[in-house]
Amino acid sequence: MVRKKILMRTRATAVLTAAVLTASACGSGGGAKPGADVTLVAYTGQSSDYQVNFNPYTSNIGGIGTIFEPLFFFNVLRAEPPQPRLGTAYSWNADGTQLSITLRDGVKWSDGERFTAQDVLFTLDMLTKHKESNSVGYNGTATAPDDTHVVIKFAQPSFVTAPNILGRIYIVPEHKWKAIANPATDPVSAPVGTGPFTLAEFKPQAFTYAANPGYWGGAPAVKKVRFLALSGNQSGQQALQAGQTDWQTGPVPDIKDIEKNYAGYQATIVPLNQIVLDTCSNTALGCTGPQTDPAVRRAIYYGLNRTQINTLAFENTASEISPGFALLHRDDAVISTRLPERTAPMQPDVGKAQQQLESAGYAKGADGVYAKNGKPLSLTVTVVSGWSDYITTLNTMTQQLKQVGIKLTAQQLSWNEWTQQRQNGRFQLILDSLNQGPAPDPYYLYSYFFATGTTAKVGTRAPQNWSRFSDPEVDRALAGLTRTDPKDTAARQPYLDTIQTRIEQAMPYVPVLTQGTVTEYHASKFTGWPTPDDLYAVPAVWQAPDNAEVMKRLKPTGK
Amino acid sequence: MRYYLRKLAFYLVALWAAVTLNFLIPRMLPGNPVDILMAKLQQRGGSPDPATRRAYELLLGTDTHESLVHQYLGYLGNMATGEFGISVSDFPTPVSTVIATSLPWTMALVGLATLISVLVGTVLGVVAGWRRGGWLDSLVPATTVLAAVPYFWLALLLVAVFGAALGWFPLLGGYDVTLNPGWDGPFLRSALYYGVLPATTIVISSAGGWLLGTRNMMVSVAAEDYVLTARAKGLRNSRIMIFYAARNAVLPTVAGFAISLGFVVAGSIVTEQVFAYPGIGSKLLQAVQSNDYALMQGIFLIITVTVLGANLLVDLLYGLVDPRIRTSG
Repeated sequence: MVRKKILMRTRATAVLTAAVLTASACGSGGGAKPGADVTLVAYTGQSSDYQVNFNPYTSNIGGIGTIFEPLFFFNVLRAEPPQPRLGTAYSWNADGTQLSITLRDGVKWSDGERFTAQDVLFTLDMLTKHKESNSVGYNGTATAPDDTHVVIKFAQPSFVTAPNILGRIYIVPEHKWKAIANPATDPVSAPVGTGPFTLAEFKPQAFTYAANPGYWGGAPAVKKVRFLALSGNQSGQQALQAGQTDWQTGPVPDIKDIEKNYAGYQATIVPLNQIVLDTCSNTALGCTGPQTDPAVRRAIYYGLNRTQINTLAFENTASEISPGFALLHRDDAVISTRLPERTAPMQPDVGKAQQQLESAGYAKGADGVYAKNGKPLSLTVTVVSGWSDYITTLNTMTQQLKQVGIKLTAQQLSWNEWTQQRQNGRFQLILDSLNQGPAPDPYYLYSYFFATGTTAKVGTRAPQNWSRFSDPEVDRALAGLTRTDPKDTAARQPYLDTIQTRIEQAMPYVPVLTQGTVTEYHASKFTGWPTPDDLYAVPAVWQAPDNAEVMKRLKPTGK
Repeated sequence: MRYYLRKLAFYLVALWAAVTLNFLIPRMLPGNPVDILMAKLQQRGGSPDPATRRAYELLLGTDTHESLVHQYLGYLGNMATGEFGISVSDFPTPVSTVIATSLPWTMALVGLATLISVLVGTVLGVVAGWRRGGWLDSLVPATTVLAAVPYFWLALLLVAVFGAALGWFPLLGGYDVTLNPGWDGPFLRSALYYGVLPATTIVISSAGGWLLGTRNMMVSVAAEDYVLTARAKGLRNSRIMIFYAARNAVLPTVAGFAISLGFVVAGSIVTEQVFAYPGIGSKLLQAVQSNDYALMQGIFLIITVTVLGANLLVDLLYGLVDPRIRTSG
């Protein structure tokens, strides 16, 4: 009797499941004509409802690249010249104080008005007038000799500002925006742009782009793109599992078997941010602790087993790192030949690590931990609680450095607290990552994280150079790079050599690995995704304006 | 009359204290909005440089050097006029708009679920307590177990079974995003359909508490002399159960219900996380994570006012229902 009941129930469930499966199969494929009206569904990690804001200077939800275009597109993944968008060519004068830009002719705003140099002038002047919008640090004076040319003059050599001005200023229409009272705080709920997409509809749970039929480069093949709001990475993974999203960035379990676990999906991993141990390195600015000794930092550097960390914490999605912080592959041409090691050793060298410590006056104690002047070599590392891959990294490191004779103590902090600690410099070590700049050029990373100008005393907020590193030679080399035309690679190289060798010797950030950003996408529904062979843009769904480049290239397969 | 005046005065003082704490607590959080925004941009692969930071400091106006007292007075004035300011994490939307778009979802979901849970729990509790030792009474431990199961785990389990495996209900969200929100049939149906699973988890996990409380009250009330008297008079059993025993036994439940109504507004952060439901709980989480003081204060104020309001209501109703409280209190 009981068995019969169970059997019946199982059968009923099976029938129901089959019915649901057929129903959903019909829903997704049956109704739509191949290729027509297929919606690309993207999830950026947005963790609560959207509030409307398509102002390209304040928006964190969209509009950048998709609706409002820059003059050029800089691909940070490949050492190549920028691609023309609203601009077609640009050139610097010899000393880098005058930038001449030629604009594309025949471009129309999505409301039918003509795009001219006046729109570019209006945008640039708006940034000068409204400092709140000027997130790229534009400080030039622009003029337009005719409808397709713009000339920007600067007070000092400004070669390095080109990627920000050409690639990160999004041109807005003068005829619409001149009526806006305060362009910095306006949410621009009905955006008019030149980009490949227009805003079709906005709801708190999702907003939808439609292909712009009048786009100067031809209307994109994907007619609709919807961005969803879910509740974070966990729900994002559920949606991916159910096939409800087509494009998402973030780690998923068992990434190497993605095609088996998620039918029709593939993943692209791009090395982008560099994982490091930030060290509060500079006693002159108030840092205290054993990590202020370069020998300790270098001992950690040699004591790490990077292969093991990669396997245990990152499912082998991370990759090698150069101790001079040039991004491997992309920056291969500029990696200094004067570096003792081109890449950080993937295997630990305990002997070399201990030798660093011993030559700095440390001696091994009875408990196996090194000590100097009676003080054991014990360091506290902080990490954001909930960042499981970083926490695993830290636990692995603690074990590895124990072999060397260095004691690490991991401390998990809330995101807010961690950010504050990093800013104030009240830390010994922080597991962190360094981000790239707006162009495929290591200069930007150096200027953010290694310059005296971006640091501050311990106790006051440093804009970006958390390690408090300050070196006159590096500062001089960075200043030299701002005066050198980026095209003149021979003239740039000595500066880049200096920076790389200096930061390798001082090691204010201990290089760990280059983190892989993992993006999953529905390859059976759309073709044209960026792959390792053709990284035409950063594939990450939240990376703007790169995501607009991807959306523009995709083609529905009709399946 | 004196009773009511005293109550009102007490609630005014409580409101002032809550509003003041509401001002101070968010400011004790480590970090500031701009730093967190920059850190987020960096984590996201953006390339924030010093110019970006300066622009955001100007934009969000976080670089003011106003004294704390000055800020506090301005804050009190703004609260009185309902001016909550601009949300930093949903820039440039006013806090009142953010709350207005998310609050109805939470109130409808958690409100209805709480109502259902109280009704189901109380009715079952009355019956279980009246028929002590019956089959329903033996189910009480089972419901307690359900209430003791970590809520998120129960929710994930239901999602896995009814959402993912069986596909009866949608996994995530508050409505079908292809529909336009509005008071029309398809949208309301969709909202209802999407709400079933989250509401069920709330009911399952909370009904046990109401059931147990009511059942125990029923048991003690059933031993009272007046119930015995009613029996001796030969009244119908159901009449004694409902009008003599249950009426007295549900008094604590009424108080508990009113207080839990106050918490309806606070939402259920976990429910909204698991089901990606568009409510005030996820907004509160977002506000805390981004040091969005204005949004935090706005949401806390709404919660405080509703909790205090619900308590005041109970106090006043109690005075009405139970004359003993009016005179002895």
